[in-house]
Amino acid sequence: MRSDGLELVARDVSVQFEGLKALSDVTLAVPRGGITGLIGPNGAGKTTLINVLTGFQPVGAGSIELEGEPLNGIAAHKLRHKGVARTFQSGRLFRDLPVVDNLEVTGVGLGQTRRDAIAEAQRVLAWLGISSLANTIAGALPYTDERRVAIGRAIMCTPRYLLLDEPAAGMSEHESHDLAAIIRRIAGELNVGVLLIEHNIGLVLELCERIFVLDSGEIIEVGTPAEIRDSDAVRHAYMGTQRDELIPPIVAEAAVAS
Amino acid sequence: MSTRPSVIRQTIVTPIILIVALLIMAALTYQFGSRAFNRTAVEMFINIMVVVGLYVFVGNSGLLSFGHISFMCLGAYMTAWLAIPPVMKSITLKGLPAWLLHTQLPMWVATPISGLFAAIFALIIGRVIMRLSGIAASIATFGLLGVVNNVYSNWDSVTGGQGSIVGIPPTMNVWIGWLGATAAIVIAYLYSISRSGLALRATRDEAVAASASGINIVRERLIAFVVSAFIIGLAGALYAHFLSIVNPGAFYLRTTFVTLSMLVVGGMYSLSGAVSGVVVMSVLIELFRNLEKGISLGGHTIALPNGAQEIAIGAITIVMLMYLPTGLSRNREFSWRGWPLQRPLARPVQTALKELN
Ligand SMILES: Nc1ncnc2c1ncn2[C@@H]1O[C@H](COP(=O)(O)OP(=O)(O)OP(=O)(O)O)[C@@H](O)[C@H]1O
Ligand SMILES: [Mg+2]
Repeated sequence: MRSDGLELVARDVSVQFEGLKALSDVTLAVPRGGITGLIGPNGAGKTTLINVLTGFQPVGAGSIELEGEPLNGIAAHKLRHKGVARTFQSGRLFRDLPVVDNLEVTGVGLGQTRRDAIAEAQRVLAWLGISSLANTIAGALPYTDERRVAIGRAIMCTPRYLLLDEPAAGMSEHESHDLAAIIRRIAGELNVGVLLIEHNIGLVLELCERIFVLDSGEIIEVGTPAEIRDSDAVRHAYMGTQRDELIPPIVAEAAVAS
Repeated sequence: MSTRPSVIRQTIVTPIILIVALLIMAALTYQFGSRAFNRTAVEMFINIMVVVGLYVFVGNSGLLSFGHISFMCLGAYMTAWLAIPPVMKSITLKGLPAWLLHTQLPMWVATPISGLFAAIFALIIGRVIMRLSGIAASIATFGLLGVVNNVYSNWDSVTGGQGSIVGIPPTMNVWIGWLGATAAIVIAYLYSISRSGLALRATRDEAVAASASGINIVRERLIAFVVSAFIIGLAGALYAHFLSIVNPGAFYLRTTFVTLSMLVVGGMYSLSGAVSGVVVMSVLIELFRNLEKGISLGGHTIALPNGAQEIAIGAITIVMLMYLPTGLSRNREFSWRGWPLQRPLARPVQTALKELN
């Protein structure tokens, strides 16, 4: 299942927005077939890092590598063709389209005919167990279904890497549990390298093999769930948060989406 | 797994309804219309071609273009060059290359060549303009209109300058007008159900998500730009045959304004909207034209001042934009299952910061 040292890597990446250092010297690797976590307080730079890895944000310094191939300055749509897919914190579905067509757009974007793209979309929806949503207009979906459709859109034609920006935001404990199962299957069955950004830290600790902690644009800790659970630096980053609140044993808090 | 009916099966009704409705109009006009009314109908069919061409680009990309009438200009002049008898050309258009001076092509050949000419021009220009986004692209298209008008107004030896070139065989009638409109509708329909059409509408509605879906925005826009230029180039060619003269003033601000109004009134994002906008506005324009000429009421002739027509078009467009921004069609197609179904009205503007979240 785990394969051969293949990775999507950000190396010494820095990004600056008019004076604000959003990322400073960040190095992060997402191995193929595994689940990697990225946590950090609001404004830490997590989304910025995903934008860098998916070609939406040019880097000030540093480099991006996809399985050894340097990718600096490559356009977002080309990166998707190379198999780096993502979801968005704010969903960004094509709101006027039925769910199946939301997925179809990716197939078409990747070069399939409309007929093949529709077939692939139906296959992916079935794989995710949400075939019943196929003909619903995306704008009318409840929040949690929206998240699942967004994941479906991203895994069309099976990418090599999938970067999830707060996929569990607003989900109940039960729903995030289902989501966890899906994420595991994506990494395990499809051999996709998953990067999971979540405020629901319970979910991250449960799913990820390796977790990066970002604070004010810097990686302040990297480690296994056990190491992260015990880290003083991590506790400091979530200033004012009691350790027990931050890392609930199992209870997943319904994080508020930004 | 239940397979959905194919995209064509689901959507083919729309172009059929439109084409049949226009056929009925053409037949009624031919049967009962006066000579003047026939001319009005032909003009309407040509406007349908132009507005449907505009729809291909504006409707699918969401970018406003002020430059498409320059493709009409290109098509019309190309037809003039190809279709005017050599004897006349050699007097008025001395600057033409010898081989062109000695050709005379029938309408059936000159028209597609004119469309292709406009399309190739769009391909070259579009490579630059389509890289711009939003308002910058719209302004650039306006620049294109100005540049083309300037060249055609001043290159006397080839275009006859400000004056008109005469001598294009006046071979238009309602049937050919209908055929032209049909061709435009079929091309626009095929484009909008194509992969490129779907991809371009995705960029229109969620540009960032479209890029993340692997779509090359610049490329898809360019394809629509070229297809729309081809359709409008054809319209220009038929317009030249209709008037039998061409002059650069006919392809400038007034036509740009009127055709965009038609598209807005009908509903920018639907093919049915493009066609119905032209039909409705043509009726209104004809009405005001007659009112400007004056109607007699019990011995008195009451006439609106000249220019009332333009003011009325402007007022109608503004009212539409204020109260019905999705146009008469509400951006829906005549029983078109798929894209524009129930599009919500104005959407809150996204801040730059939100852009990439
Ligand atoms: N396009 C931009 N222009 C200017 N500043 C930006 C831009 N994008 C992000 N920022 C700033 O960079 C910092 C990092 O933002 P980012 O969205 O990456 O944080 P985040 O970790 O994803 O936060 P959240 O958990 O709230 O989603 C923030 O201070 C944000 O205001
Ligand atoms: Mg974020």
